[in-house]
Amino acid sequence: MKHAYDLSRDNVQFGDLGRRWGTIALAVGVLGTAAAAGLGFAAGDGGKRFFWAWLVAFAYFLAMGLGALVWVMIQHMTRSGWSVLLRRIAEGIAGALPMLALLFVPLLFGLGELYHWAHADAVAHDPLLAKKAAYLNVPFFVARWAIYFAVWCGTAWALSRASRAQDASGDPALTLRMQRVSYAMIVPFAVTLTFAAFDLLMSLDPHWFSSIFGVYYFAGAIWLFFAVMPVLVWRLQANGRLTGAITPDLYQEMGKLLFAFGVFWAYIAFSQFMLIWYANLPEETGWYLKRWNGGWPLVGLLLILGHFFAPFLLIMSRAAKRNLRILIPVALWAMLMQWLDFYYIAMPEYEPGSGRVPLSLLDLAAFLGVGGLFFWMVSRNLASAPLVPVDDPRLHESLVFEEGV
Amino acid sequence: MADHSAPAAAAVPEVPVFWGYAAEFDSVTGVLHAAKECRDAGFTRWDVLTPFPVHGLNDAMGLRNTRLPWFVFGMGAIGFLTGNLMQWWMNAVDYRLIVSGKPFWSLPANIPVAFELTILFSALSAFFGMWVLNGLPRHYHPTLTSRRLKHATTDRFYVVVEAADPRFDRAKTREFLQSLGASHVEELED
Amino acid sequence: MTTAVIDNTNDNPRARSPLVLGDTSLTRVTDLVCSVYERPATRGWYIAFGISASLTLLLFAMIGYLFARGIGVWGLNHPVGWAFDITNFVFWVGIGHAGTLISAILFLFRQKWRTSINRSAEAMTIFAVACAGIFPLIHIGRPWLAYWLFPYPNQMAMWPGFRSPLLWDVFAVSTYATVSLLFWYMGMVPDLATMRDRATTRPRQIAYGLLSLGWRGSNRHWLRFEKAYLLLAALATPLVLSVHSVVSFDFAVSVLPGWHTTIFPPYFVAGAIFSGFAMVLTLLIPVRQIFGLKDLITPKHLDNMTRIILATSLMVGYSYAIEFFIAWYSGNSFELFAFLNRSLGPYWWAYWIMVTCNVIVPQVFWFKFFRSNTTAIFITSLLVNVGMWFERFVIIVTSLHRDYLPSSWGMFKPTAVDLLTMLGSFGLFFTLFLLFIRFLPFVAMAEVKSVMPHVLHEAGPTALGDYWGDAPRDHRAPDKGAH
Repeated sequence: MKHAYDLSRDNVQFGDLGRRWGTIALAVGVLGTAAAAGLGFAAGDGGKRFFWAWLVAFAYFLAMGLGALVWVMIQHMTRSGWSVLLRRIAEGIAGALPMLALLFVPLLFGLGELYHWAHADAVAHDPLLAKKAAYLNVPFFVARWAIYFAVWCGTAWALSRASRAQDASGDPALTLRMQRVSYAMIVPFAVTLTFAAFDLLMSLDPHWFSSIFGVYYFAGAIWLFFAVMPVLVWRLQANGRLTGAITPDLYQEMGKLLFAFGVFWAYIAFSQFMLIWYANLPEETGWYLKRWNGGWPLVGLLLILGHFFAPFLLIMSRAAKRNLRILIPVALWAMLMQWLDFYYIAMPEYEPGSGRVPLSLLDLAAFLGVGGLFFWMVSRNLASAPLVPVDDPRLHESLVFEEGV
Repeated sequence: MADHSAPAAAAVPEVPVFWGYAAEFDSVTGVLHAAKECRDAGFTRWDVLTPFPVHGLNDAMGLRNTRLPWFVFGMGAIGFLTGNLMQWWMNAVDYRLIVSGKPFWSLPANIPVAFELTILFSALSAFFGMWVLNGLPRHYHPTLTSRRLKHATTDRFYVVVEAADPRFDRAKTREFLQSLGASHVEELED
Repeated sequence: MTTAVIDNTNDNPRARSPLVLGDTSLTRVTDLVCSVYERPATRGWYIAFGISASLTLLLFAMIGYLFARGIGVWGLNHPVGWAFDITNFVFWVGIGHAGTLISAILFLFRQKWRTSINRSAEAMTIFAVACAGIFPLIHIGRPWLAYWLFPYPNQMAMWPGFRSPLLWDVFAVSTYATVSLLFWYMGMVPDLATMRDRATTRPRQIAYGLLSLGWRGSNRHWLRFEKAYLLLAALATPLVLSVHSVVSFDFAVSVLPGWHTTIFPPYFVAGAIFSGFAMVLTLLIPVRQIFGLKDLITPKHLDNMTRIILATSLMVGYSYAIEFFIAWYSGNSFELFAFLNRSLGPYWWAYWIMVTCNVIVPQVFWFKFFRSNTTAIFITSLLVNVGMWFERFVIIVTSLHRDYLPSSWGMFKPTAVDLLTMLGSFGLFFTLFLLFIRFLPFVAMAEVKSVMPHVLHEAGPTALGDYWGDAPRDHRAPDKGAH
């Protein structure tokens, strides 16, 4: 046995640290939101720029929450043992999805600023939009999002509740219950994630369509979560939590997932691009054409190099994944790149065809606002239970986990 | 007198030369322990024969990791470059033909072939690199001559120490191996 | 040999199920696996081989007839220019994908249960790719010029056009065949050495001796062997995704409604794995029965495979649904027509066979009763094979037979040559598989031995020894004081 583990000497309680993090996150969130609102008001465009900034930030943290949720579900469905130590952190992130439901509300006031299809007169003069009106209309949009959040928050809540109940009882039947919940909810999850991606981002250009788009959002979401996970664990360990439990072997494992799903994202992104580029049909190519002029090609190039090549080359080797001086900067960089990916998806639709990359302080303010409030809830979730599922029947497997070859 | 009519090689009778010991173990635990002891005893020309890769044995033997991955990575990079250069040269320079209205040099359309060549070069180098580094194929080896050691590919584990090892001593090494709990010590000849 | 098979599919979170049942000595694994080819072939094997070999001859006869008479002996004609040929090609390539998934992707995910089935699944991959490779070759019209597909300097001063997806196919499928073969053979070398050391007849000693390359089980060799295995697995994983993606590009880069949709690459990959797992079950269920391998290919293995079938079935169903939704959402009347025509047009029956076999039938695997009933699994696997063949048929033929102008509409009807060629390809596949059973190590013995309960146990707690095949243990006890 290479490493000694001992949860009794280890601090698995977030406790005071959690309260401190929560306070900081809340302050950042409130200030960010206020700044975003102020800047949005000052822009004098009826709040348009604010809503777009808020949309990108919302899409980003929603992806983080959904990535965490689906990862937890997959761990249950595959009866995974190695990941038990990390599961509570993912449960904490997924458990903050209700906060996103709240942060979604501001967008409802900006539907007209965001979505062309939300204008009755636009629909009346556009036969294509008229055809789609049965799906792309405001009441149905709101109803759909109510269902999406019900599915996500309900699943996250059910899994987290059973997991915490197990801390007290150690009842293996709860593991089976979480397994059943995950099996039951995976299909609704896939469907809701797909249509959420269609609604939130694809319909920004209501003429455009891409059947892979749900998978594309999923690839970004889970990659983002795999970037957040090692960063959070690293910060916790730097503050004396989980120090005896999470070893370089588990970091390597997180690094592997970050590596693999970076490749998966590239595969999905390339598939979408290549097929549209090659077939060159006007109704599809238009979407990429908007990203083909002005500053956008540079952003696209940065995504190819920064979202795929750089992490791919930097954390390919085993040693790099085990070395926090490499893994953590790459994970932070990945978090930035995923934000850029959502920016690249959404913002060319802000002033379609202008080619301008409308970077603004508002983007930062909205990011801090949504992110701060989101992490406030994440901190509260994590602080209200031990940081690891202390009586999970497979905890031992995770504690002794060691990489093979 | 006898020497001048026959070729020299044929005249020398085949005398089996003592080559080393193979200590037999029945369990993973036993061979792991023995390997650690042999490592600590400072042997250099020794080996462990197992029917399957035993978890922890590399550490027990004190083996260094292989450099094979770097070789494979290098070859993969060469494959990627080859794929791109080949397509550029053939379609954008040497034989320019308009295909479905695409530019002569169309990177998106070149990715699949460049990717396949990356994989092909890497896989071939992993496969052949491994055999070359292992010194295989080699169809003759002293450990393959013993009937008893045939169990090494089925159900038993052997610690093999070569007589050529500087610390080897015919009597003491046998004693040492037996003291590790070997169920049998086989003499190997070359 | 095997008596009552105990159910090791239990769901106890406190203990992992053993992956090898019965007497779990190392010797017995070798004995069990080697008995498959050491025993004289049974009459059943000869009958099966006779049938498959005859069908293989039929395949070659049909190919000869095709070469002599030309493509006109097939039923395809304008506007359906691709039909059985490409359907069979995509079907067989897809079958192969499960082998790579089991050997590479499940290896990366540390799924130890793969060890009992990976060798046969890899073999299946090679044979399926061999069957697949035939069809594009014979459909090109002048197959004796097939070498023109490769970029070699020639006196015509011409190079192949790399902007064509059909050329990407040449590279993808040939790379796939090569890498699969290397992976399969490399993994087999230690087992071939076992067979060499057990061989009693001179021809076997020589043959297995040569093939095993002088492998002697040295741990210094195992170190690099394992590293190379890991590397090949890591390379084969993106490769297997790329191969069926490239196959999907053959269709999806076009502008044809029903072919051009961006979800095609991952959708094809999921479908390929789905069909491949069905074929693995179709092959392994009889084999484990006939050769007494139930202690190695246990109910747990079947249970896991049915779960993968269910998962991939859901992915395929998801793709059908999203494709249909986007056809409507696009607002493009040609797109919508293509899909309505698929489900309600003249080939409606093919579409509904596809949906029934691929999406509806596999849902039985939500229930333990069906996951543990060998007959039910076998029947389902056959239906999935049928469904996945029809999926390709539906994609190819229904998209082509209704051209943009009604005056160009047509129908496809297979000829006897079409049907017999397809049948013959199954003959070739089963012939190769039957030969494999007789002459090569059917189960990766070395790998199975490394996941035996007592081996994992002896290697210490780091290898999860406590979990594998032990009596359930209360893990709360040691940490109880902690919180």
